[in-house]
Amino acid sequence: MINLTINGKARSFDVDPTIRLRELLLKNGNFAVRDSDDAEGFCGSDTVIMDGIPVFSNLVLAGEADGSEIRTPDSLGNSVDLTIVQQALIDAGVVQSAYNSPAAALLFTWLFEKNPNPSREDVKDILSGLFIRDAGYEHYYLAAELIKEKLNGGEYKTEIAPEFRPELKSVGKVMPKIDAPQLVSGERAFVEDYVDADTCYMVVLRSPYASAYVSKIDTSKAEAIPGVVKVITAYNCPDVTYMSAGQGNPEPSPHDRKLLNKKVRHVGDRVAAVIAETLEDAIKARDLIEVEYEPMDAVFTVEEAMTEGAPLVHNGKVEYVSGAPDDLDDYNKKLSGDEREGKVVYQFPLQGDILHNVAAANHGGIGDVDKAFEEADAVVEATYQTSQIQHTPLETHICYSKLENGRLIVYASTQVPYHVRRIVSWVTGLSENKIHVIKTRVGGGYGSKQDILVEDLTAYATFATGRPVLYHNTREEEFIANSTRHPMRVHVKMGGKKDGTITGIYMKVDANTGPYGNHALTVPMNSCSKTLPLFKCDNMKYDLTIYYTNTPPAGAYQGYGTPKGTYGLMMAMGELADKLGVDYKDMVIKNHVEEGYMLEILKGLGEGREGNVVPVGSCGLREAVEKGCEMIEWGKREESDDPDWKIGKGFAMIMQGSGLPGLDHANAVAKLEMDGSIIVLSGAADIGTGLDTIIAKVTSDILQVPMDKITVVSGDTDSGAFDTGSYASSGTFFSGNAAVVAANNLKEKILDEAAFQLEEDVADMELVWPSEVRSTKTGASLSFYDIIHTATSGTGRGHLIAPGSFTTAASSVPYGAHFAQVAVNVRTGEIKVQKFYALQDAGTPINPEAALCQMYGASLKSIGHSLYEDMKLDKDGRCINANMTDYGVPMISEQPEDFKAVLIDVNDAHGPFGAKSISEIACNGAAPAIGNAIHDACGVWLRSWPMTPEKVLKALGKI
Amino acid sequence: MYDIKALYEAESVEHAVQLRQEHPEAQILAGGSDVLVQIREGRRAGCEFISIYMLDELRGVSIDEEENIRIGSLTSFSHITKDPIIQKYINVLGEAVDMVGGPQIRAIGTIGGNTCNGVTSADSASTLMAWDAIIELTGANGVRRVPIKDFYIKAKVVDIKPDEIQTAILIPKASYENCFGHYIKYSMRNALDIATTGCSVNAVLSADKKSFERVRIGYGVAAPIPVRAYTAEEFIKGKEITEENIKKFAETVLEDINPRDSWRAGKALRRHISVVMAERALKECVELAGGEING
Repeated sequence: MINLTINGKARSFDVDPTIRLRELLLKNGNFAVRDSDDAEGFCGSDTVIMDGIPVFSNLVLAGEADGSEIRTPDSLGNSVDLTIVQQALIDAGVVQSAYNSPAAALLFTWLFEKNPNPSREDVKDILSGLFIRDAGYEHYYLAAELIKEKLNGGEYKTEIAPEFRPELKSVGKVMPKIDAPQLVSGERAFVEDYVDADTCYMVVLRSPYASAYVSKIDTSKAEAIPGVVKVITAYNCPDVTYMSAGQGNPEPSPHDRKLLNKKVRHVGDRVAAVIAETLEDAIKARDLIEVEYEPMDAVFTVEEAMTEGAPLVHNGKVEYVSGAPDDLDDYNKKLSGDEREGKVVYQFPLQGDILHNVAAANHGGIGDVDKAFEEADAVVEATYQTSQIQHTPLETHICYSKLENGRLIVYASTQVPYHVRRIVSWVTGLSENKIHVIKTRVGGGYGSKQDILVEDLTAYATFATGRPVLYHNTREEEFIANSTRHPMRVHVKMGGKKDGTITGIYMKVDANTGPYGNHALTVPMNSCSKTLPLFKCDNMKYDLTIYYTNTPPAGAYQGYGTPKGTYGLMMAMGELADKLGVDYKDMVIKNHVEEGYMLEILKGLGEGREGNVVPVGSCGLREAVEKGCEMIEWGKREESDDPDWKIGKGFAMIMQGSGLPGLDHANAVAKLEMDGSIIVLSGAADIGTGLDTIIAKVTSDILQVPMDKITVVSGDTDSGAFDTGSYASSGTFFSGNAAVVAANNLKEKILDEAAFQLEEDVADMELVWPSEVRSTKTGASLSFYDIIHTATSGTGRGHLIAPGSFTTAASSVPYGAHFAQVAVNVRTGEIKVQKFYALQDAGTPINPEAALCQMYGASLKSIGHSLYEDMKLDKDGRCINANMTDYGVPMISEQPEDFKAVLIDVNDAHGPFGAKSISEIACNGAAPAIGNAIHDACGVWLRSWPMTPEKVLKALGKI
Repeated sequence: MYDIKALYEAESVEHAVQLRQEHPEAQILAGGSDVLVQIREGRRAGCEFISIYMLDELRGVSIDEEENIRIGSLTSFSHITKDPIIQKYINVLGEAVDMVGGPQIRAIGTIGGNTCNGVTSADSASTLMAWDAIIELTGANGVRRVPIKDFYIKAKVVDIKPDEIQTAILIPKASYENCFGHYIKYSMRNALDIATTGCSVNAVLSADKKSFERVRIGYGVAAPIPVRAYTAEEFIKGKEITEENIKKFAETVLEDINPRDSWRAGKALRRHISVVMAERALKECVELAGGEING
């Protein structure tokens, strides 16, 4: 027997003493003690307090904990009775995807109980064992200040974030994200919290080879284990070719994979899936599957993939749904046509050529770059290489599915519920009405949950067995079998005049999409389409080629292709400015676009179709540059006391989009409930960023209803209305605008109904805060309660329900500039980011505190991408650092001491209340800002990620 | 996930020794922060454990009758960092172990576990090496003391007999008296990272503070086990405190250390950094000792 006191209650457990303490706590119902790293002791999601000290509950055996007192995060307060600490975390805006927010609340509670006045160092120390990927750490310091103020005087004194649009009550105001109380208190929120006791478990057998035919699989020994329900292989699963990208249908990605393939194309590729009644049985059975592989040569880099005669990643046949070339039959004759290869199906032509490992390509430009280079006073040409990077969400990919009354219920941690439904429909053959996708709260997405990586197989497993099935990626599987940032080779040639005018820009981008073509075209397209339009330049040209290789797969990642293109372009501009002897800032000012400039370059940069040529809309770029230069004291040389440390400054212009005009689509339905409160059904997929709150806030200001009288139901394919999903920075702009349309439609209905009930003219009706209609003519008024009560009394005109649909051709582009001051040690090569300032024009920031946190989070993440993170493959394509410790994410100790996020106030014509996107763009600036600053500090150009001490010392000729 | 066959809980040191004899295959589990991560990676799957975590008599820092600093093997990293004896005599050890993990690891990770793993990158390793720590082991035949340089045999292998457990780490008075040390951890980032190279230097200056009476220097990750750079130590002994001598001392370390190439960092970087760290750490020691660098 193991005796524990858990949250003040004595409990006894008759369990094996060798299980982990966390497992025991789960049995006790303390499910907010989560696991983000398979017991690696890194992320801290499993933190509990044991006998007064914080420990990782995954690294304590139950037997060792015997007799101790345990405190778990769910003991603090619940969503209707929050503690000061929990409330402060919410108010500071850090409770975003929140997978380990309860652990943060517990650590803070422990800290403040010991010391009500902790220093910044104390806060840093307590958070040094907690990995935060979404919001960065800056506002945790703010939360600590807020807690202190609350404990000492009762009121917050520190400003949390600036507020915008004083004429509005909710939009632009600092107020709690509406899902935050549930998340911070550790209530049921994530997929794993909704799993039924009778669930089966699925595990996947993964390929040890980078390229091989699976010529034979013997599953008889595995199936002989009593708990095994089914083993799925390429030889007994549906022959449906699709892809994993959650994009609009038809996708600009080749369909090139099946549930399980007879050819495996990377180490970690799916070979078989085992469904069993216990996880132990599933793992045991997996190890008993006997596979005969025929290994083949593989390619891992674009250089290898493009070599004449290179092994082909896809060597079956090519089909086109539309636009097939005339010589397709001849083309296919040149491929091996081996049945095990499967096929590559283009929905429409993407200029792919699988005979040369090309998944997709695109070429275009404006003007004449060759002439432009001839006319230039100086031309620079260099190649910039980015690395393979993983999203590392705290919640690894997970899916739970079950059958209910002939329907497939899919609990998904996804950015794209409707695309999940479509793909599950494809692989099961069920019509979409038979599939119910429920997006729970999402413990970190960053693009990785825009791909349908686990839902297809899990839902199919339930469909094939009739059993509830849970699948949960290990952390290693996140690295080797998920999606990653495309490694890209960005070659830039840029010419300029002595006065700083850029005459021409040429970009040649060779991208590595890995074994499958999800997002193959569109990610690399962004490296041009979200960078070249920053420049007022008449001569620009780009050549994009995307190669299949046998690395772990690539896919969508926050920023999409833009961080790589920005790195190449802004570094090249730094090199050009240096060569011309022009100040970098002067060159930026001379060449950046401004409102009204017609973006001819966009013509060729659609998502595989013709792009919209539009003028630059609202644009806070100049203000961001000027303000940032002032803050960092541009032009002033900083000296260190230690001569080994050289200090430099750099910055980068950045842009992104706000969804995909002409492609994205969002819907919402606003309903007036029986007591005058509001429920909005939305197709939106809030992944922790505050999208539900945005929908509630715009509804609040349009309908004059207080926030606590509005509930948003979203991410559920049964109750919402179609929405393409949360990607391409579309959430605020598309889902937010759909809510604006729905709320405006409901407003009309409410005014019309009030006029009817008051027997007055609708033109005289106006909405009055809170939840009232008043006649401007007679002064008569009706509350929303009165209106809906009468309308639904049995003799009235019925329930007030209004749909809203949003599509647009307009493009609202967020702009910004990110600044870095770095210190480089010329003897040790160490690089310290001393200052980092992120300045962004997000139009009207609807959730200002959440916006700041997303800027901090994305900036810190991209500092990590620039300096530390790198998936390393051995010669056989095996990832050798597929764990958190070895991979290299930044944590609180990497955060710049002077870290600022600044919102540039620009109102936009098309966004909801003038809002534009905020988070993705914040991934684009760090690499070039830091790269330029390193050059400013010590004179070397680091042209590849990660920019390491070793590369500094090599460039300086020290090693 | 852990696939542990059995867990035996020791109630006293004697009991632990008895359990060691009864279950020769079993591994010792102290705080568990390293060992439990390793079995997760399949390195010790299917194993048995003897947990000594409950043995409070192995916790704490004291000065024993022989005036050694005695650090109980189960003393946690956070305890060591805050302990007044450590802070007074060998503060560098507290600083070194404070670089381990986050608070969740520092509270549970133990100095004994850190040394018994035999991992060269352990943050305590180079400092204990540089301070000539003595490892105290208790077995069926009583107590045995082993100098730390003999304790580390090869990568991940240390000198513990099948019936023994490590019970304390001792720092002799001759080692810590008038001695000032500095540790530099060079890693790719700070966050819970493994040291690329760790360098710990300590120095005793002459009475007039003009020359080095004794300098010791230990490295982690410069070789499969923590090592000393004796040639450099010998060179600097009795020498005047000058820039030139310190530089020469630093360059001389390459005669004793042999870092390798790995995916974390190349050999050239490690060699270069080892020299830079030696110089910096020794200069820091001079400053801590109240000396001045002349010429």
